[in-house]
Amino acid sequence: MEHHIKNKIYHVEILPPKQAVTIEKLHEGLDGFAEKYNRVMDDGRCACITDNAMGLLAFQGTEVIEELKLKVNPEQVMIHLNTFHTKENLDEILESCIRLGIKYLLVISGDGSDRLPKLQPSDVGATTVEAVTSVELTRYILKEYPGKFVIGVAFNPYEPEEHEFEKLDRKIAAGATFVITQPIIEKNAVVDKLLENYPSMPVIVEAWMSKKLSLLSDAVGYEIPEDTVFDPLATLGELHRLYPGCGVYLSLLGFKYQIDKLEGLWK
Amino acid sequence: MKIVVCIKQVPATTDAKIDPETKRIIREGVKAELNPFDTYAVEEGVKLRKRFGGELITLSMGPPSAVNSLRETISVGADKAVLLSDRALGGSDTWATSYALAKAIEKIGDVDLVICGKQAVDGDTAQVGPGIAAHLCWMQATYVNAVSDITEESIIAKRMHEDGYDICEMKLPAVITVVKGINTPRVPTLKGRLMSEEVDIPTWSAADIGADPEKIGLMASPTRVVKTNPPPPRESSTIKITGSSEKCAKELVRELRLRSIL
Repeated sequence: MEHHIKNKIYHVEILPPKQAVTIEKLHEGLDGFAEKYNRVMDDGRCACITDNAMGLLAFQGTEVIEELKLKVNPEQVMIHLNTFHTKENLDEILESCIRLGIKYLLVISGDGSDRLPKLQPSDVGATTVEAVTSVELTRYILKEYPGKFVIGVAFNPYEPEEHEFEKLDRKIAAGATFVITQPIIEKNAVVDKLLENYPSMPVIVEAWMSKKLSLLSDAVGYEIPEDTVFDPLATLGELHRLYPGCGVYLSLLGFKYQIDKLEGLWK
Repeated sequence: MKIVVCIKQVPATTDAKIDPETKRIIREGVKAELNPFDTYAVEEGVKLRKRFGGELITLSMGPPSAVNSLRETISVGADKAVLLSDRALGGSDTWATSYALAKAIEKIGDVDLVICGKQAVDGDTAQVGPGIAAHLCWMQATYVNAVSDITEESIIAKRMHEDGYDICEMKLPAVITVVKGINTPRVPTLKGRLMSEEVDIPTWSAADIGADPEKIGLMASPTRVVKTNPPPPRESSTIKITGSSEKCAKELVRELRLRSIL
């Protein structure tokens, strides 16, 4: 992951097509996914593919890549993996990753829904916990698939600080080797502390690229008014200035109007 | 073994509206989905077919759009699907519906086991599964949460009720209705979804299944809905838990368990 930061490689989030759509919409979604994915590859960036984001049922990134026969450069693909799977499904995803040459995983607890099964502690060989979190999942992946994956974990600067750092310690002890934050839009004291406390850990800050800042309300834990004026590209430039040693993860990047403007922004 | 799973397409909303005139559910303009309880029936069918071989056929009675829910069952492992759709079937209550489904099951032929979800989330009657068994004169077990064994001649099922459970051994052919805890329904794969679009799903009419016109549709339905009311909205409340972190955490877990959230 240091290589990504050193070479100023953006991590670009891409959402796979949703499940509950008509076949026409699904084909449109697949075409859109391929277009975005290929653009990220061509630009030399890293495609980060979500896993049922917000608990909304979507197809898996690996199956979409395989079905569309998209090219995989191991340095340019990261798969999100959460705890809402059956054991069988989890192993299928991990085996697909190995088959495709995907090594970067962002392991998160994730958001569930009525239609999503949750991994049970026994599925991942955990005996002392009541529920599987990213800690147990990370440990399982590294134990069952040694040497195959590089695992990153999430860090939420909006959660109670002490608790979040304690969780991060457990994630690192389980084998995580890089960290991606929740979206930040300005200097953040908890992220500063993260950089100070873990100086050798590669940290990627998430930049919010939607103009609708109010959508961030759930993540930050307070209501952002809907009419808040927000310039994502200017904020991104500011984040580079504030956090020059960090990588950057772009969530909700606009492929029509924003992607062309990224060039030269990370100096 | 030939297994038939009966499914229903229902409005994809918890805010179901009822036409005050006809007392029937308003389906126009509402997104539809596979009845959530039926996903467990389909999964059980897929698991049993995988374990014992044979054929899994899904069956639905409904408007032409119900074919989308049938395709969903193909995408998770059903071998074939049949849609029963005819204006003559419109307005059927649970008795007339279960009669029509039973006739379709007879037409499929040599069926060993019929699996239904315990109920549909729109009507909430839980009558169609037992109705099918009654029309076919087959044995039945409702609220099944485990199938412990199945042979060519019989099935052993664990049936839940208020005071515990029954272990039922039934001769095949039989009908079971299954509850949520029986399995974890799989999520369709992309390959499965794309493949399901290629499968030809036949539509059978009332005449195709040899249904007696006197036994189907609104006029043949003995149920009369006299009055309907939407259920009261769920009330939300806030509980403040105070004390040490450990005590608060324990109390929170207890409260969540009391509400069956954990």
